[in-house]
Amino acid sequence: MIRYIKLYYLFCKQNLKVMMEYRMDFLLGVLSVMLQQFAGIFFVKIVFDHIHELNGWTFYEILFIYGIAATGRSIHHIFFDNLWTLGWQYIRPGKFDRLLIRPINPLFHFIADRLQQDGFGQLFIGIIVLGTAMPHLDISWGFMEYVILIIMIIASGFIFVAVNLFFATLSFWMVDSLPIVWTIFNLSDFARYPLTIYHKGIRHLLTWIIPYGFTAFYPAAYFIKGSGFENLALLTPVAAIVSCALAYLFWNRGLKAFTSTGS
Amino acid sequence: MIEVHNLAKHYKIAKRDPGLRGAVKSLFYRKYETKEAVKGINLHIEASEMVGYIGANGAGKSTTIKMLTGILTPTSGEVKVNGIVPYENRKQNASHIGAVFGQRTQLFWDIPVRESYELLKHIYEIPQKQYEETLAEFVEVLHLEPLLGIPVRQLSLGQKMRCELAAAFLHRPKVVYLDEPTIGLDVAVKVRIRSFIKQMNARYGTTVLLTTHDMQDIEEICQRIIIIDDGSVIYDGSIQNIKSQFGDKRVIHFELENSDNFILPQELAHAAQVLPREEEDLHKISITFSSRDISGAELISIMMNHYTVADLTIADPKIETIVEEIYGRGMKKEVQHEEVH
Repeated sequence: MIRYIKLYYLFCKQNLKVMMEYRMDFLLGVLSVMLQQFAGIFFVKIVFDHIHELNGWTFYEILFIYGIAATGRSIHHIFFDNLWTLGWQYIRPGKFDRLLIRPINPLFHFIADRLQQDGFGQLFIGIIVLGTAMPHLDISWGFMEYVILIIMIIASGFIFVAVNLFFATLSFWMVDSLPIVWTIFNLSDFARYPLTIYHKGIRHLLTWIIPYGFTAFYPAAYFIKGSGFENLALLTPVAAIVSCALAYLFWNRGLKAFTSTGS
Repeated sequence: MIEVHNLAKHYKIAKRDPGLRGAVKSLFYRKYETKEAVKGINLHIEASEMVGYIGANGAGKSTTIKMLTGILTPTSGEVKVNGIVPYENRKQNASHIGAVFGQRTQLFWDIPVRESYELLKHIYEIPQKQYEETLAEFVEVLHLEPLLGIPVRQLSLGQKMRCELAAAFLHRPKVVYLDEPTIGLDVAVKVRIRSFIKQMNARYGTTVLLTTHDMQDIEEICQRIIIIDDGSVIYDGSIQNIKSQFGDKRVIHFELENSDNFILPQELAHAAQVLPREEEDLHKISITFSSRDISGAELISIMMNHYTVADLTIADPKIETIVEEIYGRGMKKEVQHEEVH
């Protein structure tokens, strides 16, 4: 474990150096992601200029959900972005073989191969949005609240990771599962609004099948009194651990299938 | 060092009718066909042997190497490399092996060569002192000094291959698999790479399994060759033996002014054969002969007496020709008995 942490640090150092080399890329990437996020928030703002609340949720509450989603997603975006590339950059050109003849865990190697600069834009926006929303909520922010918020955000990030890992793994059978990964990932946009505004079917789908509900709405609902989801919200870290475990088991199955069929 | 027993690998491939219609049809209904890439081969390679593993494209070379490195799980049979079953203990096996896969880089694309080696040092847990010694040695033999600060993506093919080789040997592996390490390189680089491989073998007793289409590589590096064709081993023995029997094979390509009604001149009928013409190059006549029956110069002069020759090229004996030849002469069984261990 210590060895992997050290290795990750070394990989990161190299990735950061490369990032600095392409300075323009870094700035453009961060800015474009920030712009994209900002557009989403702007839209919510326009809607709330005309209504006071959405199914009982105020503007700042929605902003808070948004902020958790953005920061959680940034963990996935910065550190696990390589999951998108499994099919077209590794399996199709045969680069994945390289990872299999190294004496370290291939998933670790695959993830550590890349650090995504654009994710920092997501992180900045997320923190700004959270900072804006938090003082307007009816909560007294003590030490414990901050700790829980951070745990929730990390759990949210790992749920994004688990879902992407699960569907990226399909690439082992079908060469490139990117379209599937992309479609599923887009479902997470639903989770940036209160799940209560949706039909029951969608709510169950986003809670128990593709647990994107735990990436933003439930963690936010934990802090908002009277939301009725405080207990379910406590399951957020559990949901993260369970989905990561399932995704990893599935990855191992995929790897096994890959090594018995080849590409 | 490498023990392979009855190793087989079968692939299931989807059969598809031609054209767009076939593609659409295959979306809904697929017929599968089993392809036997490797059909029950046996190999026994001692520590510090250098073996040429050759065969035509699609003969099963890469599939075998993938199974030896642990990338592929065999359909049946046993593999043991250094006492380890590679596909069961992939990571453990990986720390004892090195590999160069032709055009695919093992290095890190965007970072300078030196930093790539640093990362490999940590990945393979090479002790600092040993790492420094090894690297210093490699830098000298392969002339890497000017390349160390350059990102891999900016290197030329020859430079990259030299760096690639150093990376494969950096952790002093017991076995190294080299898949086409000299493909597309100029002569000077080839010579340097060959001498590096020999030096590593002499110094550290590294076992080397080399696949190549370049007969020169084989002749200079290997004492023994294994020829695989259509998934089966058709020859396993010394290089001298195969050379004395088949190495005299030559091919000369003639470009004639008028080749429409070409027939082999009478004088050559007993000593040479015309190879089937390639479709895209119908005016080119390829003649194969054995240097024991007739010299190249003699053959050319006879040809020139009969036809107006616009151009000619003398080709090196290709491994494909030798493989064909082994089948053609029905030597398959005979030569197989002369295995060296």
